[in-house]
Parts: sequence; structure tokens; C-alpha cells
Amino acid sequence: MARILTTVFVLAVVLLPIYWLVSTSLKSNREITQEGTLYPHVPTLDNYVRLFTEKQFGSYLTNSLVVTFFSVAIALAVGAMGAYAIARFRLPFAAERKVGLFLLTLRIIPPVVILIPVYLLMLSLGLLDSWLGLIATYTAFNVTFCVWMMESFFREIPVDLEEAAMVDGDSRFGAFRRITLPLAAPGLAATAIFAVLVTFNEFLFALALTATPRAMTMPRGTATLIGRIDTDWASMSAAGVIGALPIVFFALLVQRHLVRGLTMGAVK
Amino acid sequence: MQAGTQARKYRLQGAGLDLALPYLMLAPGLTIVLGVLVYPLWDGLRASAKAYRYGSPVADVGLQNYLRLWSDAQFLNSLWVTVKFVALSVSFEAVLGFALALFCLHEFRGIRLLRTVLIIPMVVTPVVVAIVFRLIYASDAGMLTALSEAMGGGAVQILGNPLNAFIGLVVLDVWEWTPLMFLILLAGLQSLPHEPFEAARVDGAGAWRVFADLTFPMMRPVLAVAIVLRTIDAFGTFDQVFVLTRGGPGEATRLISIYGYDTAFKFQQTGYAAALFVTIGLVVLALAFSAIRLLRRVDAS
Repeated sequence: MARILTTVFVLAVVLLPIYWLVSTSLKSNREITQEGTLYPHVPTLDNYVRLFTEKQFGSYLTNSLVVTFFSVAIALAVGAMGAYAIARFRLPFAAERKVGLFLLTLRIIPPVVILIPVYLLMLSLGLLDSWLGLIATYTAFNVTFCVWMMESFFREIPVDLEEAAMVDGDSRFGAFRRITLPLAAPGLAATAIFAVLVTFNEFLFALALTATPRAMTMPRGTATLIGRIDTDWASMSAAGVIGALPIVFFALLVQRHLVRGLTMGAVK
Repeated sequence: MQAGTQARKYRLQGAGLDLALPYLMLAPGLTIVLGVLVYPLWDGLRASAKAYRYGSPVADVGLQNYLRLWSDAQFLNSLWVTVKFVALSVSFEAVLGFALALFCLHEFRGIRLLRTVLIIPMVVTPVVVAIVFRLIYASDAGMLTALSEAMGGGAVQILGNPLNAFIGLVVLDVWEWTPLMFLILLAGLQSLPHEPFEAARVDGAGAWRVFADLTFPMMRPVLAVAIVLRTIDAFGTFDQVFVLTRGGPGEATRLISIYGYDTAFKFQQTGYAAALFVTIGLVVLALAFSAIRLLRRVDAS
């Protein structure tokens, strides 16, 4: 009994706020502010339609998808190679360990610390308010993460398999590409999923580096609805649903990998 | 054993082009990181020693920006608000997450649903989480007001009141991040060995004794890591506050990241803001490294 009550309570605490967001998004502004109803009495999809016809959420979504895809894909390719080098090779002066530690240190520093200089860098390169500026920034953050995460996955894969491939005539890199990489696929997936999540949700750099629908991502575009004197609750809640829906759907789809990625570092 | 693996590693490296391979594999990643992270870090360090006017450097001021921080009441207040916010949020998250993980350790019906639902808060875009809580707290459109009115009460004031707004922010963070604590601690609990617990059961130890003498001591390293990770992360909290309160009312929820952002982009004091951010970075790094050292000592003993 206590078990059921606790479960119901936890579910309610998590889901009620979400319910309120969705329910508000289906009401008219009049119903939201003046009638204070607990569920939409006259449900409408107008708020959603308005986001795409009047408020350019189509562009925000496209920008988010493009930026997330490229920054994760590049970071994954580049990061997997780096992680492999750190996991498998012994360089003079233990250079590979130092590089690994250095990347981890960079990861610990809160991103907000380099916000200003990154802004100045993109300003001087003319990359403000562009896909390229965001992709470069996110790729760099993702690389530190991918290297750190993939390194432990590569360490779990026995060296013998690569040796066998090389005896059979593969080059070192060929062995990596044909043997190790496919074996590390679950690890790559967990890494990619986590990177997608963080990148798609990123707001701070999107806020500083973009200014128009040309490059604004979903979170950044959603924030444009906030801060007016008269809050347009209807649009804001619909934007919240649209902004969160793809990523929640994605997360539930890949739940198993996600949990592995989230808890991995801590429990080891 | 150690020497054996070492020797094998060297043999694996082969000859010719393969000798350059590790460098070639590291190069692309390092290039990106050096260009987009390390160069800006250094540039930020340089900017922190300058005075800016209208976005351009006008004078070298050495460490003056850093010294000014410690007599800036607004900075000190934001630091204090941040420390309060981090301490409160992370403690609640740790306690609730641990309780929930213990609760979910034994399989029962509905647990899969619970675990799935708990993933939602931490994957929802932080900006949207803030919107969700604005919709709960708002005095006109808010869920609390609607509930209070349905029960015959009046409008509820949360974001207009300094203390309530701060508590509201902590509640938001606890809602968003307790699930992460829960998942990490659950994974930790599941990886504990079974034998001591069976022995305790044979001895007839009560639930509290088992927890105090076995579970808690064995979970301490995982708990510590989870708390450190969350603390570092919470220190950089920005999105949620930016959308929920913008730091207000007054300075009640103005975390250090918000103050730094405003200093840089609203007040255009680039050099001063850079010094502020360098200081935050150093504080977080010091925190992380002392935590790592502490954890190693715990591990060793």
C-alpha cells in the first residue's frame, strides 16, 4: 500500500507540471488568464499554428536539427579517434594521459566561463548569428565529452582482436576501423545520445551567439517569447511543448543507452 | 604484468606510418579544442586584465578587475545566492534521490513506468523547464493560483516575493535533477555485493541497522561522486534563472552566472565580467580537484 502511494505521489509530482504545460498550450489566452480553468474547456490548436505561421518556429527547429546533427557527428568521429589514441597508445612523457587529463579539466570548467571570449572570437571571425559559429562551439564542447566517454569504452575491448586483424594484414588504423569501432558501437551510441541531448538543449551560447531566426535554435527561439510586459502564456506554453517534444520522445526511445551514459562515470 | 602489457603496447604501435598514427588521431580533436576552447580561455584571461569602454579595450589595469570583485556588493551577493542555491538544491536532491533509489531497489509492479517517467525532467530542455515552472508560479495563469482559486482562495504570489522566488528556484532545480541523483544512486546500489546483506539478514538485523552499517558506508563513494558532479553543474546554472526570474525580484535569485552575463552583455563591462568568469572557473576547478583528492583518500582508507 505504502508502495503504491509513494509511486502515485512521485508520478504526480513529475507529471502534474507537464500536464499543466500541455493543458495551458491548448487554451486561449482569455481562458488562461481570466477563467483559470483546470483543464481546457474549449481546446484549440491555434497556439501551435501561430508559432509556425507568425513566429518562425519552423526556422528554429531546422537550425536546431542542423546544428545538433553536425556538431555531434563531427565530435563523435574526431572524439572516437582521440579516445582510441589515448586508450591504446603509450606516448613519450605519458603525453596521451596528459592530454586526457587536460580534456577532462576543460570539461569541468563551467561553459559560462568562456562565454565572453567565444563571443569575441565569433565576432572577429564574422560567425555571429550563423550555423557555423554554433557548430564550431558545440563541436568543441562535445569533443571533450566524447573523448572522455569513449576512452573507457575502448579500454573494455580486448587488444587481442586488433592484434589478430593486424596479423592478417590490416594496418593499425584499419584494425581500429574494422574491428574496434564496430565493437564499441553501443558506447558510441550512448555517447552520441548524451551529446545530442546536451546540444539540442543548449541555451547560453545560443543566446549570446545568435540574434535572428537565421541561426536561433529552439531554446533560443522559445526564449524570445519571454520577458515582454504582457506575457503571451498561450504561445509560451505551446513553444514549451514543441521545444521539449522532440527531445523527450528521443530520450524515451533510447532510454536504455541514456541511463547507461548518465550513470557510467559516477559508478565506476 | 604491468611490464608485459607495456611491452605489448609498444609492439602494437608497429613501424613506419603507424608510429605517427596516435598523433594523427589526436590532432583533429585537439585542433578544435585548442581553437574554440583553449584560445578563448587564454583570451578571457587577457581580457580580464583590461578595462573596456563600449566593447573595446582601452587600458591595461592588471589585477584591478579581480580586486574590484571583492568590494562589489552585487558580486558578493550573487556569490552568496549561488552558494545557498547550490547547497540547498544539491542536499535535497541527494536525500530524495537516495530515498527513491532505496525504494526502487526491489522490483515491484509499476517500477518500469516510474523509472521511465523519472527520465523526463532531466531531458526536457532547461528553458522549457523554466517555462513549466513559470506556468506553475504565475499569479494570473499559474497552476498554484488556479488550484487555490478552485478551493476558494486567492491568487498565489511566488515570483514577486524575494524569498518565495528563491524557494521556487530551488524547487525547480530539485524537480529537474533529483532523477539524475536517483539514477546514479540506483546504479550504485545495484552494483553492491549481495553477501553482506544476506549475512545481515541471517543475523536478523533490522532495516535501519542494515542501512546505517552496510548500505550507507558502502554507498559513500558513489554518493560523493554524485554530489560533486551535481555541485559543479549547479554552480553554472543559468538557463533556468534567466527564463524564470531573470535574477529577480531585486537580486533574490541572481546567481553568479546571471550577474556575469549582465555585466558583460547588458552593462558592457567586458574586462570586469571576464575577471568574474575566470574567478568562477578557478573556484569550480579548486572545488573539483579537492573533491577528487578527498575521494582518493576515502578510497584508500
